Amino acid sequence: MPTVNDFLLILPEVVLLIWALLILLIDLWIPDTKKYYTAVLSAAGLVISAGCAFALLGRTGSAFSNMVVLDGFSSVLSILFLLSGLAAVALAYDYLKRNAAQRGEYYTLLLFSIAGMMLMASANDLIMVFLSLELLSIPLYILAGFFRPRLASEEAALKYFLLGAFSSAILLFGIAWIYGSTGHTDFPGIVASIDGGRANYLLLLIGAGLLLVGFGFKIGVFPFHMWVPDTYQGSPSSIGAFMTVATKAAGFAALLRVFLVLFPAEAPIMAGILWGLSAASMIFGNTVAIAQMNMKRLLAYSSIANAGYILMAFVPYGNPVIAQEAVSSALFYLLAYALTSFGAWAVMIALEPAESDGLLLQDFSGLGRKYPWLGAALLISMLSFIGVPLTMGFWGKFYLFKTAVDGSQIPLVLIGLLTSLVSAYYYLRIVMFAYFKPGEPQIQPGRWASVVAVICAAGIFVLSFIPTPVFQFAAQMIMGMK
Amino acid sequence: MTAVQIVFLAVAALTLAAAVMVVSLRRMMQSALALILALVGVAVIFALLGSGFFAVSQVVVYIGAIAILIIFAVMLTQNSMSPEHSQMNPGFLYAALGSALLFSSLVFILSMWVGFYAIPVNLDPSVDTITVLGLSLTDPQGFALPFEIVSVLLLAALIGGIYIARDHHRD
Repeated sequence: MPTVNDFLLILPEVVLLIWALLILLIDLWIPDTKKYYTAVLSAAGLVISAGCAFALLGRTGSAFSNMVVLDGFSSVLSILFLLSGLAAVALAYDYLKRNAAQRGEYYTLLLFSIAGMMLMASANDLIMVFLSLELLSIPLYILAGFFRPRLASEEAALKYFLLGAFSSAILLFGIAWIYGSTGHTDFPGIVASIDGGRANYLLLLIGAGLLLVGFGFKIGVFPFHMWVPDTYQGSPSSIGAFMTVATKAAGFAALLRVFLVLFPAEAPIMAGILWGLSAASMIFGNTVAIAQMNMKRLLAYSSIANAGYILMAFVPYGNPVIAQEAVSSALFYLLAYALTSFGAWAVMIALEPAESDGLLLQDFSGLGRKYPWLGAALLISMLSFIGVPLTMGFWGKFYLFKTAVDGSQIPLVLIGLLTSLVSAYYYLRIVMFAYFKPGEPQIQPGRWASVVAVICAAGIFVLSFIPTPVFQFAAQMIMGMK
Repeated sequence: MTAVQIVFLAVAALTLAAAVMVVSLRRMMQSALALILALVGVAVIFALLGSGFFAVSQVVVYIGAIAILIIFAVMLTQNSMSPEHSQMNPGFLYAALGSALLFSSLVFILSMWVGFYAIPVNLDPSVDTITVLGLSLTDPQGFALPFEIVSVLLLAALIGGIYIARDHHRD
């Protein structure tokens, strides 16, 4: 029999899924003119689920015979996913109305996807990893195409779906190799089989490589990034913002846990591959972003570069001390990146007219003078992306670079520093348009996007004064991870 | 060579031939019918392995539902599937070479694995495998949680399918 403890440990996910089903039903009785009720309801569900996750903070344990584990790592990430979901609801509130796409399915699918991410962060069995990856992806395929029959949105959904299905198949193939090698899909069983010397090393290595490719697609690192620019550009902007933050974080959650727990012995070989992926992502993302004049595409390439930065700290993961530090700095950077990315997307959504494929950089001209608050939010987000002091982005990069230096990855750190300098060019160009070019940008009706932008900017600024407690909280949270 | 081995070889050859026909026949309808043949072959292999349940579900799900669905799709989209075009990609030789290389290296790698030479053990006839499967899917100590996640996943796919397929021009 399942014990109360089993359900208690996955309470946030259970609450969220039940809430999503209720919204699906209740939405039938909400008239088309009052769809904002659905948004408010789903926000309430996210808040309740986040409350459960907060209540479980610090508790550890495994449920359903080791299918999922609850530890600080999964708790912190769950809260990050839920807050991202809250931001995605707030950004969609006026944006969907403007685009005449106010449908209840948006919220149900969003909640399903978040539940998938939370399960992914706590998955302790390769079957759960695969299923939660699908549970987070399938709703996102639909949400990317939510503006159907608009062509850009259909293209976004189709590209995401085809490459996503392809990467899922690769991931599943990798799981099959690992099962063949060890005879287990649950993490403790796999670890026991490896430690006992019963596992076939070559099969395990191939499986690990295939898993890395599968996760690489989800986090959008070079060379698995092909879908990223078109999907982020064509998707509804609120979903683009959500994907840059939450999908990436979920992919990293699974990648970090699977590699730390299952493949510490393969670290010498994997480190080389991770090194290449990280360096290529930083160089490619930052150089191609220079040529982008469309804000959505620019943010998409910037997200590829940022995935490279997070991967950088994880390269020397074979050393247990460095691995702890790498996971805490990855968590810290994910928080900083979430605030920064949502801030930038929110400013864009506040200005983005209906039926648009994303603003051009010129469309930000005059923003600083006409709307000082939005201009300031944009400025802070861009400075944080570059990693200028007095922003969370600075501390995020500081901890990542420090971890990489501790792991004696000096060439990689140099690449990271140089590409950050390159990135300053295109991030500052947006600021230049917003502050030094004359123009008359027009803010769209509805204030929720602006509210999100200002909250994120305030978070970036205020938290930058207390980086050490935040980092130590992250470090303390992952202590029990295994 | 035992009778079971002869049956297996015959069925395997038939399955492979049917699979080649699926991709090489010119008419979509004939390809769909060849697909059914290949699926029947797989069902027979399941039966030979002593897995009656999989054999039956292969017939019911794949042949009974999916193949029929494919035939319907072929019939409804006949005009867009003209058989005039060439069956081969220009670079099919390279693709064939790459696939052969991948296949042989997979076989080579797997041949270094002990499981490659393992002889299948006969299942205990007194154990009802379907009962074991059903119990493990609903057992909280087994796969109850993944099973529930799959149901949510299918629901999400269903909602998405309906949303995408709906006539968006009307409303």
